[in-house]
Amino acid sequence: MNVKLILRITGVSLLVEAGALLFPLGVSLYYHEDPVPFLLTICILLAVGLGPALLLRPQRHFFTRDGFFTVGLIWVLMSLFGALPFWFCGQFGNYVDCVFECVSGFTTTGSSILPAVEGLPYGQLFWRSFTHWLGGMGVLVFTTAILSSLGISSNFLIRAESPGPVKSKLVPRASQSSKILYAIYLSLTVIQVLLLRLTGMPWFDSLVNSFGTAGTGGFSVKNTSIGAYGNPAAEIIMTVFMLLFSINFAMYFLLLCGKLKQVLRSDELRFFLGVVAFSIVAITINIAPTFAHLGDAVRAAAFQVASIISTSGFSSVDFDLWPEFSKMLLVVLMLVGACAGSTGGGIKCSRILLLLRSARREIHSIIHPRSVSVVRLDGEPVGEDTLRTTHCYFIIYLFTVFVAAIIVGLDDFSFGSTMTAVITCISNVGPGLETVGPMGNFSAFSDLSKVVLSFCMIAGRLEMFPIFVLFSRNAWKKS
Amino acid sequence: MNIIVVGAGKVGLTLAEHLSEEHHSVTVVDVSEDALDRAGNHLDVMCVKGNGSSRRVLLEAGVESADVVIAATNSDENNLLCCHCAHRMGVGCTVARVRNADYSGDLENLRSDLGINLLVNPELSAAVEISRLLRFPSAANIDTFARGRVELIAFHLQDSDFVVGHSLSALAPRIQNLPILFCAVEREDQLVIPDGSFVLSRGDKVYLAGTPAGVNQFFKLLGRHSHRVHSVFIIGGGRVSHYLLGLLERLGMSCKVVEKNAQRCRELAEHFPRSVIIHGDGTDPELLTEERLPSSDAFVALTDRDEDNLIISLYAHQCGVPKVVAKSSRQNYSAIARSAGVESVVSPKTATADQILRLIRGIQNSKGTVMTALYRIAEGKAEAMEFLVNDSTRNLGIPLRQLRLRRGVLIAVVVRGSKVIIPEGSTCLEKGDTVILVARNSGILDLNDIYADSFGTGG
Repeated sequence: MNVKLILRITGVSLLVEAGALLFPLGVSLYYHEDPVPFLLTICILLAVGLGPALLLRPQRHFFTRDGFFTVGLIWVLMSLFGALPFWFCGQFGNYVDCVFECVSGFTTTGSSILPAVEGLPYGQLFWRSFTHWLGGMGVLVFTTAILSSLGISSNFLIRAESPGPVKSKLVPRASQSSKILYAIYLSLTVIQVLLLRLTGMPWFDSLVNSFGTAGTGGFSVKNTSIGAYGNPAAEIIMTVFMLLFSINFAMYFLLLCGKLKQVLRSDELRFFLGVVAFSIVAITINIAPTFAHLGDAVRAAAFQVASIISTSGFSSVDFDLWPEFSKMLLVVLMLVGACAGSTGGGIKCSRILLLLRSARREIHSIIHPRSVSVVRLDGEPVGEDTLRTTHCYFIIYLFTVFVAAIIVGLDDFSFGSTMTAVITCISNVGPGLETVGPMGNFSAFSDLSKVVLSFCMIAGRLEMFPIFVLFSRNAWKKS
Repeated sequence: MNIIVVGAGKVGLTLAEHLSEEHHSVTVVDVSEDALDRAGNHLDVMCVKGNGSSRRVLLEAGVESADVVIAATNSDENNLLCCHCAHRMGVGCTVARVRNADYSGDLENLRSDLGINLLVNPELSAAVEISRLLRFPSAANIDTFARGRVELIAFHLQDSDFVVGHSLSALAPRIQNLPILFCAVEREDQLVIPDGSFVLSRGDKVYLAGTPAGVNQFFKLLGRHSHRVHSVFIIGGGRVSHYLLGLLERLGMSCKVVEKNAQRCRELAEHFPRSVIIHGDGTDPELLTEERLPSSDAFVALTDRDEDNLIISLYAHQCGVPKVVAKSSRQNYSAIARSAGVESVVSPKTATADQILRLIRGIQNSKGTVMTALYRIAEGKAEAMEFLVNDSTRNLGIPLRQLRLRRGVLIAVVVRGSKVIIPEGSTCLEKGDTVILVARNSGILDLNDIYADSFGTGG
């Protein structure tokens, strides 16, 4: 393994993080708050990152496993350092809590250990939400976008960091693709900020809520999330944008190129929209009796479905009080997740589609034992390798859920709380049910559970493999 | 005419043979000494060794005086390049064999961009023929004329058919109003052009010309209007299968393909999502039973080996599959197959040879009437041709009963505008008609060749 190169990329990424911290620093200066937590963290990051970033002159050999390893390593380090401002600020509890909060931010989960967020310094709130925005598209995608001079095939990094079973580039050069993706990401975010401001939401809130939506994170600056604003227009805008951010960004690129036909042909998009439409209708019917107006029920159902399937995790009402059917449907949506190539988490619609089609093929092969058939996505045949990886992904996902649930079970919470806490973390959603419901938080869990859940969040965000590669003995071996 | 055939493989040699029989001077070009030896020993042709795409070799083969260049090597790209070179060197007519399915969508562009007159794809032609047979399972053979408005259908007479034992003139009242005509009858290896006194008997293979609707009507009268084919069982997943699956899927038939090669199975499965592709040995009866061969409406044997195709076809015939089609490259096997009950035998090679001969006869006769279709029927014992009547045609406007035609020539159908006419004594030919002929002797190049006297005005 090319240790020098990995260290150099890691160094550069930490410098990028130091650069990102300048924004919350600016915010805290603007609101006349204590800038020390951010200044201190920036200094530490510079001290750690500058050396490897500037001094090492590595060779250029770089392979898939290095890519996976690097991505896993960087995400862990970024979270550990990103937690420092929270810790220095002193209002987030112990360091484990800070790390949990920071991981929850970078992985765009949005689960919080804070019982109350109102009253925290604006700088901290901004940093919390800004980690969503950074983590949504991927820190390394950003790094490769601005630093095409890294001198390596950044392809391996992006492959390891971006979600989805089938990795496709938009344009021949990886760094060019990253720039296009970030441009789309940035423009959509700016549009949302402006729209939210138009509905009367304050500038600061529009900004952080847009960060939360864009990264499909879900940190809010109000204790009762979006419901606190009582602003139906803002809820509708956020519903639409949550869905927009959970669609494969390649679709926007195709649209910009005028290839509408190709977009409409996307199986994943159609499946995603189908699931969304079905869930909204089903939940609306289920919760309608508890609402005075049908319109309110539709709006609440649509907002919650969009929030959960996009794995954002905002809430406009306390859905923990909804009938069991709606709650179960939402938990399933947590597992399904958004489309590949979006900022959302979960298993991803394309994987679910592949799994369903693969299962159909298996049943078909009982009738025709020797038949050869091909699983397709968007009309194109999918390779057996991709299918194998998808099956394996699904298994790892489930096992991680089970093992984590057993460990979290030590805290002796109810089955619903334990299970949904793990599912919501691994799918990067945010709220679960009961104790960890939309009005609850994760502060009651033990440190062990918080570490396990943090691990789940990173594993879920990086789609399992990079983080498990870190645990493979072979990855650490020299030869 | 001077014709250069590049590539002395199966198709190349067959073509060279036919062309030299039709008195053309043929030059065969191939890289292999052995292949050239075989050509030189068996055929009256000139042989040139070398790569047919190279200028030097083409010059050596006499490209400057050549009228036609036919490229039929194993490589599609080579064929295209060769024809393009020949075109640039001034050859008026070039023919390339292109078999790769990847190019099948580009044929029109290739034709116009590279200046190639005819692109032949034997496998595609065979697949088209098979799909036609499956669409109309009662027939052993179907050829189409006048852009599909006229069909020539071959089928075997059975005991139960009411026409058996009657002379054609006796049958006339019963089928008079149907636009069909009995053109030829094949009985014990003899081909007869029947007249009114001809009595049909069991086992005759009858060639019936007419409009598709008329032919359908006739089969209904026979009580043989068999139901449509819904499910097709195909053995072998080669190029013909590839094209055939494409055609059949578009017709909405459900297909099942058995192929030995796993990689090939995967390719087919990628291309044809609606068909069932089975990896296995198609000659294994157990597999065929497991996949419920007997309940299929039709069976097509398309493996590489003629022998296998015949044997499995016979097996399928015994299993009671109503329609069985076998691919066979060799003429002598098709006779055996027919005697054993497999009526429909398709040969890609023959289809291609027909296509190319049609083109060459057309060129040869560019001053006279234009031949627009040519099929050889009854294993080449007769030819069915389609001509366009123009100014050069003699005896226009004279009723047919006043004309004396050559022996063994029959004017089967006349297409005038949108009307399809079954000719009677009073019918006359007019300019602009499309005439479909059946002739026992080959070598009819022009419509004027059908008249018994070379100068006569009839009588």
